Amino acid sequence: MQPYELPLSAAAEAIRARQLSPVELADSVLQRVERVEPHLRAYVAVTAEHARRAAREAEDEIAAGRHRGPLHGIPMALKDLIDVAGVPTSASSRVRDGHRARADSTVAARLSAAGALLIGKTHTHEFAYGLTTPQTGNAWDTGRVAGGSSGGSAVAVAAGTATFGLGTDTGGSIRVPAALNGVVGLKPTYGLVPRHGVTSLSWSLDHVGPLTRTVEDAALVLTALAGHDPRDPASLTTPATDYRPTVGTDLTGLRVGVPRNYYFEHVDVEVEAAVRCAIDQLAALGAHLVDVEIPMTRYIQATQWGLMVPEATAYHERTLRTVPELYQADVRVLLEAGELMPAGDYLRAQRARTLMRREWARMLREVDLIAAPAVPATAVKAGQETITWADGTVENVSDAYVRLSSPANITGVPALTVPVALDAAGLPIGMQLLGRPLAESVLLRAGHAYQQTRPAPTLAPAV
Amino acid sequence: MSSAELTPAEAARWAARAGLPLPADRHAVVAATADHIHSVVAVLRELDLGDTPPALAYRAEQETHDAAV
Repeated sequence: MQPYELPLSAAAEAIRARQLSPVELADSVLQRVERVEPHLRAYVAVTAEHARRAAREAEDEIAAGRHRGPLHGIPMALKDLIDVAGVPTSASSRVRDGHRARADSTVAARLSAAGALLIGKTHTHEFAYGLTTPQTGNAWDTGRVAGGSSGGSAVAVAAGTATFGLGTDTGGSIRVPAALNGVVGLKPTYGLVPRHGVTSLSWSLDHVGPLTRTVEDAALVLTALAGHDPRDPASLTTPATDYRPTVGTDLTGLRVGVPRNYYFEHVDVEVEAAVRCAIDQLAALGAHLVDVEIPMTRYIQATQWGLMVPEATAYHERTLRTVPELYQADVRVLLEAGELMPAGDYLRAQRARTLMRREWARMLREVDLIAAPAVPATAVKAGQETITWADGTVENVSDAYVRLSSPANITGVPALTVPVALDAAGLPIGMQLLGRPLAESVLLRAGHAYQQTRPAPTLAPAV
Repeated sequence: MSSAELTPAEAARWAARAGLPLPADRHAVVAATADHIHSVVAVLRELDLGDTPPALAYRAEQETHDAAV
């Protein structure tokens, strides 16, 4: 096994035990980048020299007995909405030409302090306003969509061109590409991970979180990311937590809610079968399955759009007036049309969200977590605009991909996607676990238990 | 076209009132997109929101507190 193939936890252990040096790991990952990146186009920019220099510093520190922890010397990819001092934050947009971040975002600073090495900045659907990331190819089939908007980070982690990545998630933008590329994605509780220095799509729905190869890896990254920062007005004052899941696979007593509505409607038959099989595996580990009714499903899309559309337009107010021609066509028209939404519609969405949060809190008193598909279909071919379901219903691809993700953005609850199978075409399928606010540990424990009973995840073929 | 749908000229006028002058070649596409967005969010008018306040300042700590009651 080459170092670039190691999941974070294994690489960290090898570095701690001095069986692997950060320089060897960084060189291996950068060689992998040279080999597969021309086909995948996951990165906006690769910071090879920076990574090699930081790897040498990490090696020296560790040799001197100053090991900072599990992220020390680990190569990472940051979605190009996340500020790193001195480096452009392109948002994968011409609107940002000439940009250079003056300071690190909170998450970049925390990862840097933990010793992680920046391999590069990864592609996003322009300004995170879309679900496909058209610049980047899927790691399992480059003719298919990467998913979005954190498509670059998901593909880099899936293909071994980063050991872990960060994404952002406003309606599913971590979980959708994670599921479509067969990696783990965690959208934490709203406010748990500070967003200071991260370009916003929609303030009241935005989250930052990890993309990794294993659930245990996601826990290691979350431990470094979480914690209060007053510069993000939504930041929570929760105490520092070690999220590493306990060893063992016994889930006895865990109540797992299985939705009888919404999450299995208009879902591909192979996706449904694989996710139900994974849920049965949770039951085999001792979990108690409970039927649950998802509340207010008729209002999910309306609430998501009612919040996101005017907030996104507000963020782009100035540049939409000065350089509208620099936006991609799909993003420009959404920003323009957002100007026409009355404040009453926005307030109605915020009030509907209050009701939805209440109803979800009520539902989550009955179970410890909910298990469901992450996305209703695997990666579609690049350029495909619609999905036709068995009953003849035609759905826009982006609407389909966001449909099962957005409830966790509206309610703020944590949601984890875990790869569970490949479909007949060899494309990954993800299971989503949703929990109570700040119950990340419950999701990570269940996901980790599941992964321990399955074959170890493999890298995507990439090319 | 239903009476709630915007004509391209109306979309241009609304955008201008919002401080966004639209070139003529944008009027039709913006009107169509705005109409689609409207058709999605208008569903919320079915809800009886009563005294429900907007969730402008979401805090998970509050959610946890609620759940514990």
